[in-house]
Amino acid sequence: MRRQFSLYLRLISIQLRSQMQFRASFWTDVMTTGLLNFSYFFSTYLVLQRFGSIAGWTIAEMAFLYGMIEISFGAMDMIFSGFDPDSFSRFIRQGLLDQVLLRPVSVAVQVFGSAFVLRRLGRITQGALVLAFALINLPVHWTPLKLGLLPVMWVSQIMAMGALFMVGSTLTFWTVQRVEAINILTYGGVEVMSYPMTIYPRWMRGFFTYLIPFIFLNYYPALFILGKPDPLGLPAFTPFLAPLVGGAMLFLASRFWRLGLSHYQSTGT
Amino acid sequence: MRLFLHLVKLSILEQATYRTALVAGLATNFFWGLFRAAVIVALYNGRSEVNGLTLEGAITYIAVGQAMIAFLSLFGTFELMATVYSGSIASDLIRPTPLFFLWMARDLGHSLVNLVIRGVLLLGVFALFYPIALPETPLGWGWTALSLIIGWLVSYAWRFLVNLAAFWTPDARGIGRGAFALSQLASGFIIPLRLYPEWFSHLCYLTPFPAMFNTGMEVFLGALSGGQLVRALGVQLIWFLGLVLLSQWILRAGIRRLVIQGG
Amino acid sequence: MPPIISVRHLHKRFKILQRRPGLGGALVNLMAPRYSEVSAVEDVSFELDEGEVVGYLGPNGAGKSTTIKVLTGLLVPTSGEVRINGKVPWLERERYVREIGAIFGYRSTLWWDLPVIDSLELLQPMYGIPAERFRSNLREFSHLLDLDAFLNTPVRSLSLGQRMRADLCAALLHEPHLLFLDEPTIGLDVVAKEHIRQFILHINRQRGVTVLLTTHDLADVERLCERVMILDRGRLLFDGSLTTLNHRFESTWTLHVDFDAEYDDVSLPGLDPPFRQGLHAEYHFDHRQVTSAELITRLLERFRIRDLEVRRPPLEETIRRIYREKLLIN
Repeated sequence: MRRQFSLYLRLISIQLRSQMQFRASFWTDVMTTGLLNFSYFFSTYLVLQRFGSIAGWTIAEMAFLYGMIEISFGAMDMIFSGFDPDSFSRFIRQGLLDQVLLRPVSVAVQVFGSAFVLRRLGRITQGALVLAFALINLPVHWTPLKLGLLPVMWVSQIMAMGALFMVGSTLTFWTVQRVEAINILTYGGVEVMSYPMTIYPRWMRGFFTYLIPFIFLNYYPALFILGKPDPLGLPAFTPFLAPLVGGAMLFLASRFWRLGLSHYQSTGT
Repeated sequence: MRLFLHLVKLSILEQATYRTALVAGLATNFFWGLFRAAVIVALYNGRSEVNGLTLEGAITYIAVGQAMIAFLSLFGTFELMATVYSGSIASDLIRPTPLFFLWMARDLGHSLVNLVIRGVLLLGVFALFYPIALPETPLGWGWTALSLIIGWLVSYAWRFLVNLAAFWTPDARGIGRGAFALSQLASGFIIPLRLYPEWFSHLCYLTPFPAMFNTGMEVFLGALSGGQLVRALGVQLIWFLGLVLLSQWILRAGIRRLVIQGG
Repeated sequence: MPPIISVRHLHKRFKILQRRPGLGGALVNLMAPRYSEVSAVEDVSFELDEGEVVGYLGPNGAGKSTTIKVLTGLLVPTSGEVRINGKVPWLERERYVREIGAIFGYRSTLWWDLPVIDSLELLQPMYGIPAERFRSNLREFSHLLDLDAFLNTPVRSLSLGQRMRADLCAALLHEPHLLFLDEPTIGLDVVAKEHIRQFILHINRQRGVTVLLTTHDLADVERLCERVMILDRGRLLFDGSLTTLNHRFESTWTLHVDFDAEYDDVSLPGLDPPFRQGLHAEYHFDHRQVTSAELITRLLERFRIRDLEVRRPPLEETIRRIYREKLLIN
């Protein structure tokens, strides 16, 4: 177990080294990514100048939602770079999985170690800046519990979205071509979670509660931290379900991954 | 002219084979449309009209935006810069047809397929969920079509221009991403320009981007009439011509540079 | 000593989706897919002892690569037993793979963007090779394979020959007892091929590495293998020594003769008339029916001869005949 992890670190360091080689273009890349992502929030910010609030959430509260999920998604995108369905499907198509199977290391570790896109730091940074803006402007009564909930939220969100990435990649074991629909859940999911869940029609909210439980990952913990009342009347412990949801999603995704891998080994594209 | 039409036809046939991509694109656009519509409804919060834009109009705006995104290639295209990097642009430059029109033909073919499949179809499905405001008179449709066509031309010219960055830097992709994010925002694709603060929308009007989409939508929704309408279309046209001139000038400079480098 | 590889009744069948044409067909396919079954490997059994160098031959599509994939743990068979080093390859993949080396001629096993040396050094913690063994192996193989010239070049910039040498080094650094080679000399020039063959011979003789190699180049087989297995359409048709193969199938030899004088008729009774060109003649004979010694004696009795040579058909031709005339399907 420890050997696998240290191998993972070595693989990552190789990725990092090669990315840092072209210094100038790397930093511009980071900046462009940051600005690009920020433009979406910027448009929300501008619009809220005119409207004041959305579903009872002020701009600062919106910024909190946005900042939290952007940090997590950027981090997830970095850590799970190898599982990005777009690049993984290309990986499979080029038959590169065979050389992975020939090494005495778990396939998942090798896939994790195969990519680590540092450029995502841009997304994380802009998320952090927006979050800072939110925290400065919000009258939050901080308690140790609330403070502790912040990193828990990040980890849960990373696990959940990472699970979706993993599922998207696993599907390519069967379909070979990338499954674009998964982008709705990953990139779409980030946007969905950056708004209060109450704005969505019932059926959509139901989807994000029972099928892909996004509602527990950002919205509910945010309600707790920001001290906002729960308009849906769920039990008081709901804000703390995030790690369970994230963990469960990652667990299921890893099982599905194993299934996909054994399918690949039976059919050997 | 005949060559142009022929290339368009080829491009249509090519795009029509990407069936799964079209379906996936439809699904994606549909989701985003629903999502953005929900945001708009929540924003309006019972108001029937904001800055001259009704709720129904705003939702229509969003829906048509999603329907048109593929038609207008609002996320940007990177194929031209790819040919510069691969060197295959050389074979295009040798042809008697100007590069601008060659790519326009290819682009038009793709766009037309997307218009029908992702555009019309999406709007139809969306109308089942939300009320859509369509132009009321044939004249309205006429002006709309004209405005959207010019909007397409502006979008194309902008994308052509951005791709030309490839002549100067190996990082044109990154530049493209940034440029297209900017045009997305300022064209009103993300949120109707009327819903932004005045100072911001005025800033946007200093750029060609609203001409790509926002203007067309305003015509669609009947928000402009008479002199305003004609003026708006005129502005679109001027932006298009401006971009064309600029791109031709830059293309010439780029080719000169390419030749000197011996690419 | 138990055999290092034991394969019993190996079967591998693939299900191929029948594609129906058109948009309607694609929809129907989604709901009620139809599959046809293709048998890639059909009831193959064999054993390899330690230290053997065995060639695994067959025309394209015979099932060679499929077999190798099963043996290296990449593919799970439909049925059959495989035991290598006492393990079942696909069941204990990580542990099993540590003990073998594998090279696929058409694809490198190294990391594409890294310099060769970085790729090789990554293998040390991966396989848990003790540092000094790693260093000494690396030194030895670099020397034998002449890698020093391009150790710092990224793998993607290497020529095919260089890449193959780097792959060979990579496959052996962890001192496996068993080496699988899938088309190791494909696309290489004659000199490069010879280098690779010499290296394989070296590690077999010096380190006792068992080698199973698939190849289309029969010169590889002639140089390296004492034993060959021939596969066609998934079935193992021949498993024996090269000499047996030659003896059984390679029947028509040629006797080249340069006469000392002009003769009108140089044909021999019981033999096809020879091909003639000036003073030169070529006799084709079935060496199972008449030995070359007999033939030479008969010729010398009748004619004055300046020079003669007995030529056996190249293995290439023999194998081609075997494939073509399906000589083994009985």
